Amino acid sequence: MDKEKEQKKKRGGIFGGFREFIYGMAAHDTARFALKTRGSMEHLFILVTMGDMLGIPILPPYYSLRLLPYVVPQIATWKRRMLREKDFTDTLA
Amino acid sequence: MNSIVVPVIGALVYIIGLRFYAFWVDRKVIGADGKRATPARMFADGVDFMPTSRNILFGYQFKSIAGAAPVLGPIIAIKWGWLPVFLWILLGTLFIGWVQDYTSAMVSVRNDGKTFGGISFTLISPRARTILLIFIYLYLLLIAAAFANTVATALAHAPRIPLAIVMLAVAGVVVGFLIYHGRVHLALVTVIGLILFYVALVINGHFSIVFGTPGTNRLVWLLFSLVFAFFGSILPIWIFVQPINYLSFYIILIGMIGAVLGIVIGRPVMQQPAFTSFTVGSLPLWPMLFVTVACGAISGWHGIVSSTGTSRQLENELDARPVAAGAMFLEMMLALIALVIVGVTTPGAQASWDQLFGSGLGNLFHFIGMPARWGEIYGPVMIVVLAITILHLVVRFMRIATNELLGKALPIVRLPVVGTTVAVFLAFVLAWTGTFNYIWVLFGSANQLMASLALLIGSVWLVSENKKAGFAIVPMIFMYLTTMAALVLTSKQLLYQAVSRTDLLGKPLTSAKIAGNWISGIIGLVLFGAAVVLAYDGVKALIGHARQSHGLEKG
Repeated sequence: MDKEKEQKKKRGGIFGGFREFIYGMAAHDTARFALKTRGSMEHLFILVTMGDMLGIPILPPYYSLRLLPYVVPQIATWKRRMLREKDFTDTLA
Repeated sequence: MNSIVVPVIGALVYIIGLRFYAFWVDRKVIGADGKRATPARMFADGVDFMPTSRNILFGYQFKSIAGAAPVLGPIIAIKWGWLPVFLWILLGTLFIGWVQDYTSAMVSVRNDGKTFGGISFTLISPRARTILLIFIYLYLLLIAAAFANTVATALAHAPRIPLAIVMLAVAGVVVGFLIYHGRVHLALVTVIGLILFYVALVINGHFSIVFGTPGTNRLVWLLFSLVFAFFGSILPIWIFVQPINYLSFYIILIGMIGAVLGIVIGRPVMQQPAFTSFTVGSLPLWPMLFVTVACGAISGWHGIVSSTGTSRQLENELDARPVAAGAMFLEMMLALIALVIVGVTTPGAQASWDQLFGSGLGNLFHFIGMPARWGEIYGPVMIVVLAITILHLVVRFMRIATNELLGKALPIVRLPVVGTTVAVFLAFVLAWTGTFNYIWVLFGSANQLMASLALLIGSVWLVSENKKAGFAIVPMIFMYLTTMAALVLTSKQLLYQAVSRTDLLGKPLTSAKIAGNWISGIIGLVLFGAAVVLAYDGVKALIGHARQSHGLEKG
C-alpha cells in the first residue's frame, strides 16, 4: 500500500497523471520511434563490427576483437531482437 | 431529447463497465496478477519492450485507437436515426468493444508479447497466420481507400479549407525541422506550427478553391490526398508524418473542446429523428448499422494496437484494464460526442455527412459565443485532418506489408518508392472507381471481422488456459455472423450492379463504376473466404484445446 502511495506521489497526483496522459497522446509514439531508430542503428553497428562472427566479414577480426568489450553488454538484447519472430504487424504500433 | 443526456448515460456506462464488469473479468476470469512479470519487464530492451507508466500508456492507446472512424461512423449512420446508433455504441462498447481490446492485450502479455501472427500460428494453425496477414493487408487497403475518399469528399465540399490542409503539411515539415535540427523548444515550435495552420485557414476563409466540374474537383483532391500519403510513406517519419500528426492532435483537441463546451453550455435538443426505418435505401439496419459504426463500439484495429504496441509496454498486468479497456470506454465517449454533433442538426437538410458534421459543430460553437460559420468551416477541417493523418500512416504500413508479402518473389517492391506506388495505386483505383458508401461498409466489415478474429484468438487462448471464455465467445459469434452477413449483402449488391451494369435504382453505371463494383465485390468475397477458413481452423483449435483442458482436468 505504501509502495502504491509512493508511486502515486512520484507521478505527481492527478495533475501529473493528466500531464502524462497528454504526453502519451501527443508525443509518446514519437519518442518510441526515435528509440526504435536508435535500436536499429545499434544493431546495424553490431552487424558491421561483429559481422565476422556471423560469417559476414565486413571488418577485420582484429578490430572486432578490440571493440568486443563495448559490444558484450548489448549482445543478449541484440540476439533476442534478431531471433524474435516478426511480421509486418510489428510496425503497426 | 436533450443532447446532454447522451454523454451523461455514456459516462454512467463508462463507470459501470470499467469499474464492475471489466474489473470482474480482469481479476476473477483472467486472474491478472500485479506480481507477475510482464514482457515489458522480462525483455526490457528500451526499444520494443519498455515498461511505461499507466497514464502515458492510456494516452498512447487512446490516441492510437481514436482516429477518424469513431467520428465518421455515427455521422454516416445517423440515417437510421440517432437512437439505434446510441444504443449500439453503448452496448457494443460495454459487451464487445473493451472485451476485444483488453483480451488482445492480455493474450499478448501472457504469450511473451507476441503479435496476432505469432499467436495464431501457435494457437490456431500455421496457415492461420498467412491468411491473417493477407486479411490485414486487404483491411489496410480498404482503410486507405475509405479515408482517401473521405478527404476528397470533404475537401470538394468545403472549398474554403484546402489551403489550411496544404499549410498543415508545410507547417509539419517546419516543425520537424525546428525540433530535430533547430533544437527549438517544443512549446514554441507547437505555437509556430499552429499559427501557420490557423492563418492559412483564416486566409482561405475569404475565397474558394475549386478545380473545374465537381467530378474533376473531387479527382484533384483524391490525387492530392494520395500524393500527401505518398510523401508520408517515403520520407523519413520524423520529417513528415510525426510532426503533422503532432500538430493535428492540437487541431482536433481544440475542436473537441469547443464541441464539449457547446454541449454542456447549450444543452441543445436532438433534432434528428430518434428512429427512421429498419431499411434505409438498400441497407438494412442489421447488419449494416453494426459495420457502419465500427470504432466507437468495437474495432479490429484496437486489437492490433493492443497486441503489438501496448502489451509490450505494460509495466504491470493490473494496468491492462485501465489502459486497454479504459481507452475503449473513452473512445465510446468520443463517438457519443460525434453523435450529438450530428444529432443536433436540422433533419431533412439536403447535405452530405461531412456538411452535416460542420453544421452540427456550428450549432455547438454558437453556444460558446463563436459564430456558427466558424464551426461549419472547422467541422470539415476536423474530418480531413483526422482522415489524412491515418491515411499517410496506413499507406506507410502498406508499403512495409507489400515488402514483406511480395518482397521475396518480387525484390523491386522492397524499394520504398515502388512499394508506396503499389499501395497508393491500389488505393486510388478502389477509391476512384468505388462507391463511398460501399467502400465504407466494406472497410467497416473488414474492421469488425478483424475484431471477431481477435476475439476468436482470445477465446482459443482462454480455453487453452482452462479459463471461462463465455464473455469473449458470445460477442465473437455475434460479430462474426453480423460482419459475414454484411459482407455477403454488400458483395451481392456490388456484383449484381456490376453484372447488370445499372445501380439499384436501374440507372446505367459508367464503366469506371462497373470496374469499381467488380473490384469491391471481389475484395468482399476474398475477405469472406479468408474469414471462413480462419473460423474453421479457429473452431477446430477451440474444440481441440477444450478437449485437452477437459482431459487434463479429468486426468
